[in-house]
Amino acid sequence: MNPQSKSTALSADLNNFIYGVSRRNAQNAPELTKTGINLLKNFPAARDAVLEYFAMVFHDAVNVSITQTDYETDLGANGSLESVSMIGPELCSLGQAWAPFIAPWCINLIMDIATKKSNVPNTTLQNAEPVRILLDITTQTLTLLNSEERAKCIDMMLGCWACSWAVGWVGRAEPALVAPRALQLGADAARAVLAHLANHPPATHHVRVAVLDLFHEAIKEDSKPEKKREVIPYLLNLASKSDIVLKALTQDIEQTLTDDVIDRLCNVCASQRSSPQWAEVTPPALVSLLIRADVRCLLLLLRHALTNLFCRQLLEYLLQKLEFECLFPDKSIPLLTSAAEEINVVRDKLLDGNQLEKYSLARILILVSYNLPSEFVSTISYLLQYSRDDTTLALLVRIISGTITMHVPNDSPDISMDTERYQNFVKTGVEYALRDAMLSDNEIKSTLFEDSVPKDQKTYLHHFCMNIIKMLRWENSNRVSHLRTRPIGRAVEANLYRIGGALQEYTSLLRVRRESTMAALDEMPTCHALAEVLDKVDMSGTKAPPPSVEVILKVVQATVKYFFRCLHLKDTLEKLRGIATSCRLLRKLCLHSKLARALALRELLETAMFREDAAFGSRPVMTNAPASGKDWRNEDLLIHLNQKHGPITQLTQSHTSVFHAGIIGKGVRKQSDMDVNDIPPILTTNNELLMGALMSCMVSDGNSGVVEGATSLSLLLVELVSPDVMYNGLPWPDEDFTKQVSIERELYMRGALESCAVARAALRRAGAARPALCLASALLRATAATLLHRLRAYLDRHTQSAEMAKERAALTELLSTMTLGQLLPHPLNHMLELAPELTANEIVQVLRDCLWNYTRDHVPSPALFACDSTGLHWRDPSTCKPPATYTDTLRLIIQKRIAKLGHMYPIMFLNLEKEN
Amino acid sequence: MSLSDLKHSLRKYEFPACAKEALNRIEQLLVGRAAPSNKQLDVAMDIISEFVFCEADRRGGRDRRGGGLTPLQELQLIDIICDYLSACTNEITKNTVFLSLFGGMESQRRLKILSILASMAVSASSTPVLLAVGVWLQQMGCSSAQSLQLVENVIRDHFYLNTSNQVALKSLANSAPQFVSNFITAVTELYMRDAQGTTKLPPKNLLEIITSWVYSNPTLCMSAQLNPAALPSGSIPMAAVTPLAGLIHWCALAPLYIDDDSEMVEIPEVPMKKIKLEGETERSIVKTVTHKPLSESELYMRLHLGVLHSLRAGRRTHGPPTAVNAQHLAALAPVVQTYAHSVLKRGGKLLTDDKLQDCLDRIGQAVQVALANGCVYGNINNLLAALDTLPENRLLRIIIKTHQQII
Repeated sequence: MNPQSKSTALSADLNNFIYGVSRRNAQNAPELTKTGINLLKNFPAARDAVLEYFAMVFHDAVNVSITQTDYETDLGANGSLESVSMIGPELCSLGQAWAPFIAPWCINLIMDIATKKSNVPNTTLQNAEPVRILLDITTQTLTLLNSEERAKCIDMMLGCWACSWAVGWVGRAEPALVAPRALQLGADAARAVLAHLANHPPATHHVRVAVLDLFHEAIKEDSKPEKKREVIPYLLNLASKSDIVLKALTQDIEQTLTDDVIDRLCNVCASQRSSPQWAEVTPPALVSLLIRADVRCLLLLLRHALTNLFCRQLLEYLLQKLEFECLFPDKSIPLLTSAAEEINVVRDKLLDGNQLEKYSLARILILVSYNLPSEFVSTISYLLQYSRDDTTLALLVRIISGTITMHVPNDSPDISMDTERYQNFVKTGVEYALRDAMLSDNEIKSTLFEDSVPKDQKTYLHHFCMNIIKMLRWENSNRVSHLRTRPIGRAVEANLYRIGGALQEYTSLLRVRRESTMAALDEMPTCHALAEVLDKVDMSGTKAPPPSVEVILKVVQATVKYFFRCLHLKDTLEKLRGIATSCRLLRKLCLHSKLARALALRELLETAMFREDAAFGSRPVMTNAPASGKDWRNEDLLIHLNQKHGPITQLTQSHTSVFHAGIIGKGVRKQSDMDVNDIPPILTTNNELLMGALMSCMVSDGNSGVVEGATSLSLLLVELVSPDVMYNGLPWPDEDFTKQVSIERELYMRGALESCAVARAALRRAGAARPALCLASALLRATAATLLHRLRAYLDRHTQSAEMAKERAALTELLSTMTLGQLLPHPLNHMLELAPELTANEIVQVLRDCLWNYTRDHVPSPALFACDSTGLHWRDPSTCKPPATYTDTLRLIIQKRIAKLGHMYPIMFLNLEKEN
Repeated sequence: MSLSDLKHSLRKYEFPACAKEALNRIEQLLVGRAAPSNKQLDVAMDIISEFVFCEADRRGGRDRRGGGLTPLQELQLIDIICDYLSACTNEITKNTVFLSLFGGMESQRRLKILSILASMAVSASSTPVLLAVGVWLQQMGCSSAQSLQLVENVIRDHFYLNTSNQVALKSLANSAPQFVSNFITAVTELYMRDAQGTTKLPPKNLLEIITSWVYSNPTLCMSAQLNPAALPSGSIPMAAVTPLAGLIHWCALAPLYIDDDSEMVEIPEVPMKKIKLEGETERSIVKTVTHKPLSESELYMRLHLGVLHSLRAGRRTHGPPTAVNAQHLAALAPVVQTYAHSVLKRGGKLLTDDKLQDCLDRIGQAVQVALANGCVYGNINNLLAALDTLPENRLLRIIIKTHQQII
C-alpha cells in the first residue's frame, strides 16, 4: 500500500470532519458520524474531538425525542436519531482499551443531559431512545473497567443531583459498588438512587448488604463515636422514605438484630440519644416505620418488650396506631399484610409465647382477621386444633368476638347481615378445624416411630373436641358476655353432619389405622369426646333452625355405632358413662324427630340382632347359614342319614325329615349339645342397656311416644324376624291352616325369636306398651303354633327331656308376654300360673281352645285398646270377658285336677260366676 | 509592523483562520537572515499564546471557556499546524516555528496538543511533522518528562487503542528515521526499568514493531546522530542519544523477565493508570499482524541480533565513538546481580541457571561487538570492572580478559 495515498485519504476524512462540524446541522449528522467513527478507529488521538461531537449529537437527539409527540416523524427524517443509533454499537464494540475513555465521557454526558433536562419527567427521559442507548453504552463499558475505575465513574455520577435515575440504571451492572456509595448521600438522593437501583431485582441483595454494613459499622464498638452519631437516625430517616431500605433493614431481622447487636445498640442509643441528630427518632416515627415493616420485626419487638420498657411502650403505641388505622377500610397496612403472609409464625407464637406476646398477637390477629376473612377462618381453625390451655382458648374467644364486633357501628343497617357473615366464618373455621384434625390424625408422626409414644396420648380430633367442649361450656354458662350470641354453638350445630361423620368414622371398626399416626391410638377417648360435643349442642331446633334430615340420619347412625362400641368396653364405668351419653343423645334426637326415632330403633335393633348378637348372648338368627370350615363327610349329611332309616313314604306336606333327624346343613341334631339348645337369658346387662337405649328413643311428653315407639318396635321385630311378607298380619287363622301351610315359617320364626334374647326382650317391652304388642301378633302366633305342634308331638313321652323343658319355658314366655300385652283377658291370663302344672296333653288342649281359638276369634288389634284420659291405652277387663267356650277347657282341667290346681279356681272363675 | 498593528490585523480573523494567519506572521518574525531580537521573540510568543493556542483572552473578544480550546478546536488547530508544516519547504524554518510553538517546558495544554499532533502524524504517516517531532524530542532530551509523556501518548494511541496500523508503522523507519530513532530511545526509558519495584515490559506489538525497525534497518539507530537536526540559528543542538544502550538493556534482561511458558498468556501489567487525562490502559489486546507470529523471547533474540548489526553499523570512521555510553552498559550489572542473589536465595546454582547464563551471554556479545567496533564512549575500565562483578560466565570472562589486556 502506498503510504502517501493512505495518508491523504485519512487527511481527507479529518478535513471533512473538521469542515462538517463547523457547519453542523441535522442533515449531515449521519455522514459526519460515520466519518467520526472512522477517525476514532484510525486517528485515536482525535478521540476527544470526536467524542465531543458525539455528545452534541446525543444532546440533539434527546431534544428531538422528548419533543417528539408521537411516532409521526420517521427515523430517517432525523439525522441525529439515526446517528445515535449508529454510535451506540460502534462505541460498544471498540473494546476494553477504550473503556477508560468512553465511560467517563458517557457519564459526563448523562449528567449533562440530566441536568439540562431536569424539568422533564424522569420516565420520559429514561424512555427516550438516545438516553437508552447511552445508558446501554455506559453499562457495557463499565463492565470492561477495573473496579477502581468503575468506582471512580460511579462516584462521578453520584455527585450529580439530577441523575439519580441514571445511577440506578447504570448501577444495575454494579450494584455492589453503587449501593454503599449511594448511602453516603443525603437521604433524599439516596432514596432516589436506591429506588431506581431496586427496580432491578438482583440489585436488592447488594442494597441490603450495603445498608447492613453501614448499620454494623455504626454500632461497632471503640470506633469514633462522633462520626457515627448520625448514622442510625440517617438510616431510620432513609427507611421512612424508602421502602427498599426499610425492606433491606428488616429482612431477616432476627439475624441482623441478634441479642449482642441489640445490647450494643442500646449502648449506642444511650450515649447518643441526646445529640441533635437523634431528635427525629421519636416513638411516632418508629411506629410509622414499624407499620410498614414486616411481622418479624413485630415479633422481635415483642420479644424485647418483656425486658425493655421502651419496647413495651413502643408496642402499645404501635398496637393503638394499628387499631386506629384499621378504621379506614381501604387502607392496606404492610405490617398486617405481612402478618397475614406469615400467619403461621404469628399463630405459633400465640400458642407458645409469653403472656404479653399472646395478648399483643391476639390484637394483631383481630386486625388481620378483620381485613382478611380467610385468615379469620384459618385462625379459628388453627386455634381450635392446637390450643391446649384455657388461656389460648380465651384468646380465641377474644379474637372471634373482637373481629365480629370490630368497628361495626351499632346503627348500621346491615349489622345482622354482618353478624351472619361472621357467623358463617366461624362455622367454616370449625369445619376446617375438624377436617384438618382428622387429616392430622392420619399423618405419620415421627414422634410415634419406634414406640416412643409421647405422653400426650390424645388424637388431634380429641384435642379439638376438648376445645370445643370447653368453649361450649363457657357459652352455656352464660357468664361470658362475648359468647352471648353462641357463635361456637351455632357453628358446631351447623357442622353436625361432619361431626356425626367423624364419630361414625372413629367408631367404625373397619377404620384404617396407619402405623405411627395418631389414628393408631385407641379411638374410644376421641369417640367419647365427640359424643360429648354432640351432647353439648342443641339439636332441638329451639335456639337455631332444626337440623336437616341428612344431619339427623348421620348423627343417629353415628350414635348407634358409638353405643355399640361402648357396649364392648371393659371398664364398666366408662361403658356406662358412654352408654348414658349415647342414650341422652338418642333421646335428644328422637324427641323432636319421628324420623330419628324410626331410624334409631331400626339401627339399634338390627345391629343388636344381626351384627352384635354375640354381645347379647344370642345365637345367629340365620340358622341355615352354612357353617364355615366344617368338612362334611358323606355319611354325616342329613340326607344320607335319613336314607339309612329305610324307605320313608314321603307324604304331601309332611316334614318328617326335619322333625326327626336334624336341620339341613347342620347335620343331625345333637341332643347333648346344651349350648345350642339353651335359650339365651333376657336379663343381662347388655340387654338391659340396649332396652334402655330403645326406651330413650321413645321418650316424649306423655305416653304417646312410648306407644308409638313400641309400635314401631313391634313392626320392626316382625319385619326382622319374619322370613317373608306373607301372613304377617294381625288375624290368627285356623289352627289347621298353620299345620297345612305355614308351619315351616312358624318354626323358623320361633327359632329366630328364641335364639335372640334381644328380640324377646323387645317383645316384652312392646307388651308393656299396650297396644303395641298387637302388631307383633305374627310372632306370637308363630310361637303358639309351634308349641301346639311340638307339644302334641311329644305328648307325654318326653316329659323330662330337655326339649320339653324348653317348650315349657317358651310357653311360659309366650303366656307372660301375651298377658302383659293384655291379649289374654281374665281368666285366660291365669294360664301362666297353671301351665307348669299341666301335662303336655292338657297344655295342647288349653293352647288350642283357650289361647288359639280365643285369639282367632278376637283378633288382637289396637282397636281393642281404649285410650283413657291420661293417654294410657288399655283393655278394660270388664268389657272383654271371654265367652265360656274359651274358658271351659280350663275350668274342666282345674276341676279334674282340683286337688292340685284348686287354689286357682276361685281366682279364675269365682268372680266370673259372681258377675254372671 | 508594530505589535499592536500585528495583533489588530490578526483580530480580524475568527479562530481557525487567525491561527493560520498567525503561523505565517510568526514565520516572518522569527526566520530571517539574522537571529531574531528578544523583542521579536516576545512578540512571537505573544501571538502564539493568543492566536494559536488561544490561551490569553482576546480583548473585547468573544467569551471563551477559560481561554482554552475545545477538543474540536484543538483538532482544527492541529489540522492547520499539520498543513503548515507539510507546506513548509525549509527545514530550518519548519523546526524554528515548531520549536517556538511547543518548545516551552511549562504548558501542559500545549504538550497535550503536541501529543495529539504527534499521534495524528503517526496515523497519517506525515513525514514533515514526524521529523519536526523528532527534532523536538531530541532538543527536549529523549528521557525528559515531556518526551516521555508524548511517547506514552503515542504508544497508547497506536499500540493499545488502534492496533490495526502495523504496516504503516513499519514504514515509518524509512520515511522518518530520526523520529523513530528518538522515539525508540524514549521508549527504552519507559520499560524494563526497576523503578517502582515491578518491571514494566513493553507490549508485544510495540516490541514487534521496534524489532522490525531495528532488524531491517541497521543504520536506523544511528540516524539521529548521522543526520544532525536543522536548527534555527543561534540555538544549541542537543546531542542525540542512540537507542542502542537501551535496547541492549532490553535484550540482556529479557531472559530474566520473560517466561517462555507463560508466553501469550498475559503481558505483565502496568501498575498505575489514570482515567482519560494521562496514562494508558492496562492490557493490550494482542493482535499480531505478522504472518507467523513470533513468541516474545524469539522477538528479543531477533532484536538482539538487530542490535548487534546496528552496533557494527555504528562504527565511525572518524571522530570519537558516540553510539553507546559505557556507563549505560555498566548500569546493567546491579540488576543482574540482584537476580543472581534471588537465584542463590532460591538455592539455585548460578552456573546452571539458564536464564542467567543467557543474559550474561547476551551482555557479553553486545559488549564484545560494541567494543570491537569502537562504539563505546566513556569509562571503559569502569565498565569492565562492573562486568567483572557479574556471576561467572565463560564468554564474559574471555571478553573481560581480552579487553583488559588491550587497555
